Amino acid sequence: MVNLYTKRNYFFILSAIIILAGIVSYFAMGFKLDIQFEGGTVIELRANKGMFTDANTQQLQTQIAEFVTKTIDKPSSVQKSAAFDVNGSNSSYDVIKINIGSENTLTNAEVTTVEEAVIKEFKLTSDDPVISEESVEPFIGKEIMQNGLKAVAIAFALIIIYVWIRFRVMSGLSAGVFAVVGVLHDVLIMISVYLIFQIPVNESFIAAILTVVGYSMNDTIIIYDRIRENNRLLRKVPLPELVNDSIMQTLNRSINTVVTSLIAITTVYIFAKVNGIVSIEEFSFPLIIGIAAGCYSSIFIASPLYVMWKESQKKTKAVKA
Amino acid sequence: MRGSNAVKFFSILVITGILTWIAAFGSFAGFDIPGAKDIRPGIDIQGGVDAKLYAITEDGKKPSEKDLDSARFTIEKRLDSNNIFDRVVTVDYQKGYVLVQIPHKKGESFDPQKSIEEIGKTALLTFQEVDETKKNADGTYIPADPTKEDEKKRIILQGQDIKDATSEPSQDGSGFQISLKMSDEGAKKFAEATARLVGRPIAIFMDNKQISAPVVNEAIPNGTARISLNGTPANEQKAEAKELAGLIKSGALPFKLEAKQVNNISPTLGSNALSVSIEAFVVAFILICIFMVGYYRLPGFIAAIALFLHTVMELLALSWMHITVTLPGIAGLILTIGMAVDANVIIFERIKEEIRDGKTLRTAIEVGFKRAFSAVLDGNITTIIAALVLLKFGTGPIQSFAYTLLIGVILSFITAVTATRLMLNAVSDLDIAKHPVLYGVSARLKGGKANG
Repeated sequence: MVNLYTKRNYFFILSAIIILAGIVSYFAMGFKLDIQFEGGTVIELRANKGMFTDANTQQLQTQIAEFVTKTIDKPSSVQKSAAFDVNGSNSSYDVIKINIGSENTLTNAEVTTVEEAVIKEFKLTSDDPVISEESVEPFIGKEIMQNGLKAVAIAFALIIIYVWIRFRVMSGLSAGVFAVVGVLHDVLIMISVYLIFQIPVNESFIAAILTVVGYSMNDTIIIYDRIRENNRLLRKVPLPELVNDSIMQTLNRSINTVVTSLIAITTVYIFAKVNGIVSIEEFSFPLIIGIAAGCYSSIFIASPLYVMWKESQKKTKAVKA
Repeated sequence: MRGSNAVKFFSILVITGILTWIAAFGSFAGFDIPGAKDIRPGIDIQGGVDAKLYAITEDGKKPSEKDLDSARFTIEKRLDSNNIFDRVVTVDYQKGYVLVQIPHKKGESFDPQKSIEEIGKTALLTFQEVDETKKNADGTYIPADPTKEDEKKRIILQGQDIKDATSEPSQDGSGFQISLKMSDEGAKKFAEATARLVGRPIAIFMDNKQISAPVVNEAIPNGTARISLNGTPANEQKAEAKELAGLIKSGALPFKLEAKQVNNISPTLGSNALSVSIEAFVVAFILICIFMVGYYRLPGFIAAIALFLHTVMELLALSWMHITVTLPGIAGLILTIGMAVDANVIIFERIKEEIRDGKTLRTAIEVGFKRAFSAVLDGNITTIIAALVLLKFGTGPIQSFAYTLLIGVILSFITAVTATRLMLNAVSDLDIAKHPVLYGVSARLKGGKANG
């Protein structure tokens, strides 16, 4: 039988590399906050067909940005993106995305002014050129972000308490602590991926983290549950072996569950990606990472750590005796 | 299949069929029951405006709950008069804002994004003497035109003359009434007018729409008046008094409302997202079923039936509980179908193990369900905790995700555990369903080594 416990260091190193890359990105680039957290204004307008060509994109973007800045006297930037029309023509169209920084968040009236001016100046002809607009004052963004962080902290605390109560049989607190270490690991991996790929952090991210916290705990609990059961049945087997056996016995389940969940969420991601639905894309991506990490950490991180702790305790006791 | 098991098996199929019918058509046996079509889509799906109107006071103090309610009543009244009945208006007293959500409707002249701040403007409130001979078609009085000198005279009080309006239980205790307090100047004007108009009505207008027209019983000299709601049934008086008091107060609110967060999504973008998510949902569902049947064979097929039941029940739950479904909500829905089969995976793996340990099929299924249950329970409770916390702390779209997750996980106990168990027990009694291969255990392993 494969002995995962003896190979534990490889797994620890793999996780450490990802998290380290995250830390480096943090100092190099920092978090990219979504406008939901940072504040600011984003206006999306539907461009005319053929308006953007490969040659003029750069120039046209600058031109629109300058025009917007002139209209409302606030610095802005413009980016061309593409969206996919599923309903009618099944074709893609270009989107003019106007960004205004958080310190200059537009009022509702200014948003309307910008839209009307740009539509007129650049002669946007589609039926309703305004695709979407979002404006968030920085103080609200801060509030939403703090709420999110509070939610993560509270969920963590509650889950630790639950795990503790439920697993007192197998020296509850330490089991709970290592389950949480495993979950912390998943959260760190998710955060690292966000930092490395510079994905905007918003409320979806918080929701994804909480989902993964619950989900990954679920994985760990399944393994612990088996350890608990084997503990009763096989009192003579040494702990490392017992834990390893328990992991192997539940391995099929661990993998299959992750497979079904990943099938679901990856399908969502692919559909969103292909059709350019950014909000769903940004929501499903961290879930994919988190769910994969959750399964990985339950098998390769949380359980080996628990054994290491138990073993070291035994040694200390032996020394004292 | 033994009789009682057959009955159970087929009742699950019949229930699934009935629920599916309801979800698909929104009616059953002549009764209208809300189905999947009646699920309320969020702004990000339907397109529309989502705005937080913050109450900005001059001294920076937090506005009172009563005043915020008053602002909400005003906004609702204005939306009513624009025929916008499909909307959400809620107040966050802690943070001091009114949240307004209005879905886009095709071919509507009213553009909610442009008028969102208009909606929150201080109301034009007047108490007027009326010309009783002239009435609108709906029986309300016609407000004075302030540009005409002779009509302007009819205006008795304006917004700032009202210091306060509160709803309170009426003296005889049978219902509710509104108590008004006027400013010193307002009191003078009101005293003069009421002395003159005993037995005649004084109409109260908000934005030139009549909201009430009480008849003056006696002269009111001291600037405190009461409006009773004799025409209203007693059980509706409390709500009406509160609303009317709020509307009367709206002309003199100590703050103005400013849209500090606005999110506007065009209907085309929204419906695009919806059709894509539905496609993703169908594809994910089919893929998971293929996986389950491929890996677990007969139990996998039963799990697929249970998963279908799960989906139908979740859609109905969302519809019946009037939960707004946003894009993250749909993502949650899809995620839960992935997670719902988790319970089945745990149980089926256990059954496989028990078969390998040499137990009979019947015992293996029994023991498998029993032993796996604690694991399923523990695992789902942590997800429930996470969902509940999200529900408490998240804003709209994320709360929708929390709801779908929560409902999905709870329903999985009914479908993945109970329904699957009943069906599997029933089917496993059939002779042809007894071969271990049908449970994903190769025959040579049966009775062989344990602990693969």
